[in-house]
Amino acid sequence: MPVFKAPFNGYSVKFSPFYESRLAVATAQNFGILGNGKIHVLELSPGPPGVTESVSFDTADAVYDVSWSESHESVLVAAIGDGSVKIYDTSLPPPSNPIRSFQEHAREVHSVDYNPTRRDSFLTASWDDTVKLWAMDRPASVRTFKEHAYCVYQAVWNPKHGDVFASASGDCTLRIWDVREPGSTMIIPGHDFEILSCDWNKYDDCVLATSSVDKTIKVWDVRSYRVPVAVLNGHGYAVRKVKFSPHRRSLIASCSYDMSVCLWDYMVEDALVGRYDHHTEFAVGIDMSVLVEGLMASTGWDELVYVWQQGMDPRAS
Amino acid sequence: MEKAIERQRVLLHHLQPLPPSSSSHASLSASACLAGDSAAYQRTSLYGDDVVIVAAQRTALCKAKRGSFKDTYPDELLAPVLRAVIEKTKLDPSEVGDIVVGNVLGSGSQKATEFRMAAFYAGFPDTVPIRTVNRQCSSGLQAVADVAAAIKAGFYDIGIGAGLESMTTSPRGWKGSVNPKVKKFEQAQSCLLPMGITSENVAHRFGVSREEQDQAAVDSHRKAASATASGKFKDEITPVNTRIVDPKTGEEKPITVTVDDGIRPSTTLSGLAKLKPVFKKDGSTTAGNSSQVSDGAGAVLLMKRSVAMQKGLPILGVFRTFAAVGVDPSVMGIGPAAAIPAAVKAAGLELDDIDLFEINEAFASQFVYCRNKLGLDPEKINVNGGAIAIGHPLGATGARCVATLLHEMKRRGKDCRFGVVSMCIGSGMGAAGVFERGDSVDELSNVRKVE
Repeated sequence: MPVFKAPFNGYSVKFSPFYESRLAVATAQNFGILGNGKIHVLELSPGPPGVTESVSFDTADAVYDVSWSESHESVLVAAIGDGSVKIYDTSLPPPSNPIRSFQEHAREVHSVDYNPTRRDSFLTASWDDTVKLWAMDRPASVRTFKEHAYCVYQAVWNPKHGDVFASASGDCTLRIWDVREPGSTMIIPGHDFEILSCDWNKYDDCVLATSSVDKTIKVWDVRSYRVPVAVLNGHGYAVRKVKFSPHRRSLIASCSYDMSVCLWDYMVEDALVGRYDHHTEFAVGIDMSVLVEGLMASTGWDELVYVWQQGMDPRAS
Repeated sequence: MEKAIERQRVLLHHLQPLPPSSSSHASLSASACLAGDSAAYQRTSLYGDDVVIVAAQRTALCKAKRGSFKDTYPDELLAPVLRAVIEKTKLDPSEVGDIVVGNVLGSGSQKATEFRMAAFYAGFPDTVPIRTVNRQCSSGLQAVADVAAAIKAGFYDIGIGAGLESMTTSPRGWKGSVNPKVKKFEQAQSCLLPMGITSENVAHRFGVSREEQDQAAVDSHRKAASATASGKFKDEITPVNTRIVDPKTGEEKPITVTVDDGIRPSTTLSGLAKLKPVFKKDGSTTAGNSSQVSDGAGAVLLMKRSVAMQKGLPILGVFRTFAAVGVDPSVMGIGPAAAIPAAVKAAGLELDDIDLFEINEAFASQFVYCRNKLGLDPEKINVNGGAIAIGHPLGATGARCVATLLHEMKRRGKDCRFGVVSMCIGSGMGAAGVFERGDSVDELSNVRKVE
């Protein structure tokens, strides 16, 4: 299985929605605490070495997340530690990049998510407690959503409704928003501890999952959000990211500070259906390919990016 | 820095399940680790202001007075390596900001003039300055460190650190009388001890046996012979076109020197055991387990990373740190045992992080002592032999070791990240430099093989 060794610690990995062999990786020096960042664009190839870097972009501060544009195949948006949001055109050489840089967030930008249905806008979540909505053609953000009381770690668009998104925060709440409404439409105090990540079910637009410092993943239905639909136990430390499968309704992938990547089926009793121990440091980034069923990617503080087929050993060559 | 502390705090909260509103004391805290002060992850590579090495060349080392360079002028040894680093990189020689040449024996002023002449022979324009540096046996390394420091200081962007010693032509020994005051200062008196006596002192004081010393000598010859046979030195050795006079017929003929001529593949323990101690009747230091007296030169081309990248030059290595430390002159050979930890610490690393060492074998006694004292893995030290086999042209040794180290690190690839060059220094010192393997010397694939 292809493995890529980055010079810095991995923070996020995303498959391209246009090319099944392409992915982007966000990395940061010194575990994202102090130093530079780097964005790698990787190409998978059938023969060895399996993965090659097609281009990389250096940044002056850590890169915590990237998101591919849903409208332009070569464009990606990066969330940077210095509070900036930068747009890169991967078809242009590094000196011509970034093509755009927005400096509005007062603190670290921790996640970015491109709108998959409207395809013209994206969200950023920041440690300055806000979520911002941006459009490619605007010189500044369209709107700022300020309700959370602590770092917002992730904001994710609903896969069906182009105006709805969810945000996960260290204030222990999950909030649902509709950009047409003045404030959040729903507040779910989902965990007793910080919520680090959330994602929508790709087949049921009312179901979403949260992951928390309390080591659990909870699955929620917004139609009855008082109690979770499922609580998934099994990680030994905080669950850093959670992601619904684009191909199987009840399949969830997660990665954790316990260094493992886990697969869950939240509808069956023994929910933990797979555990991968290939990382040797905190596993913090995970993605599942939309274009190739079962293809997964993960990255972590061990500076490695693994791409593998579900059910295979990521380390097997 | 405040930002970094704040980031660390946010991340630590993820590991320590406490609601952010709670103010209870942290059971978990960040502590200093292998990354030290982040030294292993220097922030400089993006800014391009660290100092990198783009070429490191040396001449073959040949036995003084008997070897291939016995009839070669010293400046003719230096000029080829100066020219080689320029030719390898296709650099315009007028861009070089300074040339620093390590040299030990001979008159300082004459040497300085000789080197200036060598620069002209090598094709440098008169605008490029040159100077000498003398820190005894570490002069070559000191020259490299001086250039790195000057680049860091912003004096210039490109410089050459070199070393040269023609032990054939330069007489050793003290000129003039010694200040009688020296008798009142024991350590000053010790500075006058012949190096061989200091070697006997090390062997005696620290209990290094004759067998251990002879074994180190055998290993040195064996490794150097196999490195030569397998062509490992080809990349680092610049051929020197010179002439040699046949001692019997007096006939002069042109030769091209490309191999070290002091290596004896047939060296055995039993052969060495027969040699008599040179410096002390019941001693253990012999001609067989001491470094060879040689002629040779080396040159290292350093520049600011941004300049190297702009010129598209492959980065052979990164200059990280240098340290010189004093020790008791009567056991001057223990210098590396003091200098290596200092340089490694300054780089924010630990001894275990170092993948390769070039420790000068002035004498097997001090080499074995330093190796054992620091608890180093013999498999990591002088993998291609050392001065006992290859030779020790005093002022050139540092530059020679840098060339050997960096070319070996290049061969070993990504797994060999940090290397150290170190040597003891007459009159009681040690010097050590830490180098990092360049990041662009591997093939354009940074995929780690996964077992």
